[in-house]
Amino acid sequence: MTAASIMTTKVLSISVSGTMYDAFKLVQEARVRQIPVLDEQKRVVGIITPRSLVKAILPSYITEGLLSDVKFAPELPDFVRHIDSLASKKVSDLLEKDFAAVSPETSVMEVSTLMINLKKHVESVLVVDDKRVLLGIISPWDVFKRLWDYSEKARK
Amino acid sequence: MAQTFYIAIAVFVAVYALLIWDKLNRAVVALLGASALILLGVLNQEAAVHGIDFNTIGLLIGMMVIVFICQDTGMFQYVAIRGAKMSKGDPWKILVALSIVTAILSALLDNVTTVLLTVPITLLITQELEVNPYPYFISQILMSNIGGTATLIGDPPNIMIGSATGLTFMDFVFGVGPVIPIIFIATIIPLRFIYGSSFKVSEDRKKRIMQFRESETLTDIPLLKKCLVVLALVIGGFMMQRQLHLEPATIALFGASILLLISKKDLHHVMEKVEWTSIFFFIGLFIVVHSLVEVGFIRYLADLMLDATGGDMAVTGYAILWGSAIASSIVDNIPFVATMIPLIKNMAPAFGGDAAVLPLWWALSLGACLGGNGTIIGASANVVVSGIAHRNGHEMKFFKYMLIAYPLMLLSIAISTVYMYLRYLG
Repeated sequence: MTAASIMTTKVLSISVSGTMYDAFKLVQEARVRQIPVLDEQKRVVGIITPRSLVKAILPSYITEGLLSDVKFAPELPDFVRHIDSLASKKVSDLLEKDFAAVSPETSVMEVSTLMINLKKHVESVLVVDDKRVLLGIISPWDVFKRLWDYSEKARK
Repeated sequence: MAQTFYIAIAVFVAVYALLIWDKLNRAVVALLGASALILLGVLNQEAAVHGIDFNTIGLLIGMMVIVFICQDTGMFQYVAIRGAKMSKGDPWKILVALSIVTAILSALLDNVTTVLLTVPITLLITQELEVNPYPYFISQILMSNIGGTATLIGDPPNIMIGSATGLTFMDFVFGVGPVIPIIFIATIIPLRFIYGSSFKVSEDRKKRIMQFRESETLTDIPLLKKCLVVLALVIGGFMMQRQLHLEPATIALFGASILLLISKKDLHHVMEKVEWTSIFFFIGLFIVVHSLVEVGFIRYLADLMLDATGGDMAVTGYAILWGSAIASSIVDNIPFVATMIPLIKNMAPAFGGDAAVLPLWWALSLGACLGGNGTIIGASANVVVSGIAHRNGHEMKFFKYMLIAYPLMLLSIAISTVYMYLRYLG
């Protein structure tokens, strides 16, 4: 069983030249966990996650981990206003380059192994061809669902 | 003999050049130099190990472990916020309060740890106040290096000097400590005039500072109590060093092991937080400098210096003070001090023994620690603060920093010169 056989091929994506406003709308409408970011040739250059959006509205001394707990501090006056300035920013400024991608021929065993070793906030694995053009996406549920279906069929 | 003499010098120069070039990790450079000396037959391994000052290494590791565990309790942030609140939200008074906290903390912790604790709090406070954080960054850089000068454990040069000479914690407090409050005041007053205009904020903003709840930083009260007991034990031990006949490394490592035992922290996690790259930098550097001692080059340099100063104590003292300050403002003060220590030791007989060169140690300490303030790359704390500032949208440019800091550094050395004259060299 390969990645190609379990991936979802209908993937919502966003162009690297778009604005964050487009990304917000996509997150709101589709409720996706991560949005692949594509260049003009439809190649994957990064991902946008809801977590990267939250990260972008916090000051960097917090996101760097220098203050891991701020319950002693009153809310920053400009913290909420930050979200407005974020909307006009470009996708290319905020995309995360740290994402997982596999080829369609990768075995499901390998995909599963990769998935559990991923950084916790990225859950899905992208499937790309050798030119890094996006073919599909695999979430942990996809892996589980397809394996379950497979074993049910085998039992019958 | 002659051949190893030149090999040792060549390796030393190469190590120094690579450190100044600053493109490779300094620990890698020092260890490469050290192993090259052994491979090329200048030292055998036994002699190399003999050159390592394990007192410095032990003290550094012990303090890193203690400070890391104490940091988890939030006690240092508590102190910083408490200090800021005592100023009732006035921006200038906050700057003074945070400077005092920085100076005191860095006298007891290493300077980088200190600024990593105070700078994020500073950014939060200045954002609440909507004032420019730049003067706060400058004052915290300057005060971390000034405060660190006051004690044996405050700054690596002092740790090395104390280790090599047997000068104790209290020797440093009485030997260089008295001039530190004077330098503190002389440094902070000009900042008021330089940045005076940026300290005006509305009453509303001031009130926000009073909304900080410092008690919320204390996350683990049982651990806090344990940490305070161990800190009291360790600092008490340092103060009683002479009576106890203990080296500082023993005290620090004993405190660290007690704290590891009673805090029940995961040992692997704590050990990962020890800055091993710094430790191995020291190890490599000690070996490189030791080879210069072994081949007689330091002896040769000492004779040169005695010739140049005419064997005059005062001239030598001022030369070391100013020379160390200028050198440390450009290069890392650790390799510089590591080289100066055996040099001063070699000059001791000419001045009438170890006791007679005491003023030279204080000159080296003041020059090397305070000199680091001169440029943004002069000391590790400077580099760390400018890094955080940069990532938060406040660039600290080399010349812009130097324009303010270099004259203030020279002022601190001038004050030290007067101090040295009045107490030791006059």
